[in-house]
Amino acid sequence: MAAEHTSRSARERRPETVILFLVANQMFAIAAQSVQEIRSTDSLAGSAVEFDQAEVPKVRHTIERNRKTYYIVNAGAHFGLPVTRPTLVLILRNIRAAVLVDRIERMAEISAVYALPQAFAGDERRWYRGLAYLDDTIIPVIDPAGFLTTAEFQQLDRTARAASQHELETAAQG
Amino acid sequence: MNGMPAVEAPTQNSFVLLQLGRRRFGLAAGEVTELAPPVRLHAFPHTSPLLTGVIVRRGRIVPVYDVASALDASNTSTHRFYLIARRPIGKSSELCAIPVDGECELASAEVASPDQDHPPYIAGSIAVGDESVDVLNLPALLAFDPASGKSSLQDAEAQS
Repeated sequence: MAAEHTSRSARERRPETVILFLVANQMFAIAAQSVQEIRSTDSLAGSAVEFDQAEVPKVRHTIERNRKTYYIVNAGAHFGLPVTRPTLVLILRNIRAAVLVDRIERMAEISAVYALPQAFAGDERRWYRGLAYLDDTIIPVIDPAGFLTTAEFQQLDRTARAASQHELETAAQG
Repeated sequence: MNGMPAVEAPTQNSFVLLQLGRRRFGLAAGEVTELAPPVRLHAFPHTSPLLTGVIVRRGRIVPVYDVASALDASNTSTHRFYLIARRPIGKSSELCAIPVDGECELASAEVASPDQDHPPYIAGSIAVGDESVDVLNLPALLAFDPASGKSSLQDAEAQS
């Protein structure tokens, strides 16, 4: 099976293990190797820090890992899905982002990732690596780098630095 | 022409008549690949106008366009078939699926020029019996954004 404009480059024919997760009853797949850690939102209650900013509304919290600040992205807000109550956080590997999801369905092996048809020309080209066919269902395969753009990272970093500076000044005055 | 390619070679004046809600439209037969049965629609989040998801047809992933919303021809919720057509995109092309209500017919007719105030996705009209049927400009229709009332083809032309 393939998208119409199939060429050798139009699909990645390489079996890989993915994590199937749900957000607002929509299933997504993400490569297992791109997820560093899965935690429950309850277990992060003490370590996640509220991040009050309006520029990137899908990010409301941060978490520290290996002396780095990870931005926690609400996957529902990212994909424009209805508001839900996420129970899990996927902490990504090699990207300073973590993702709030409703639940993990299971892990699975997919045989290939098919190119998104060219008709899809919006943000989804950044969100997805392509589509997978699993158990008679087409599932979008997430591109982890698509959760936050470079510009969004820069904006969030600026806001975080400003907040940190403000805290230091407040502490010094106190 | 259900589930199989058209047998007759389409001529320049051949049109597939498709039913969308209460309206009928014509589409150049040369653009149409087949009429497929109502297979499962797979939907996922995206931001592209008109698209509702994809279907799998003959082992291929085919994007599905809800053109009824652009044509103001409210589709019934029980559409019976997918019209599969080939859409040019840039220098290549890909298949696309349009949900249609009921069977399609093949008609031969001369195309009359469209009205002066025609929307960009109407290429003209043909007379079928007593009825005047609008002929669709498929690339313009699929590039149409109902929210803005504009076609991305128009934007591309304006920029070039």
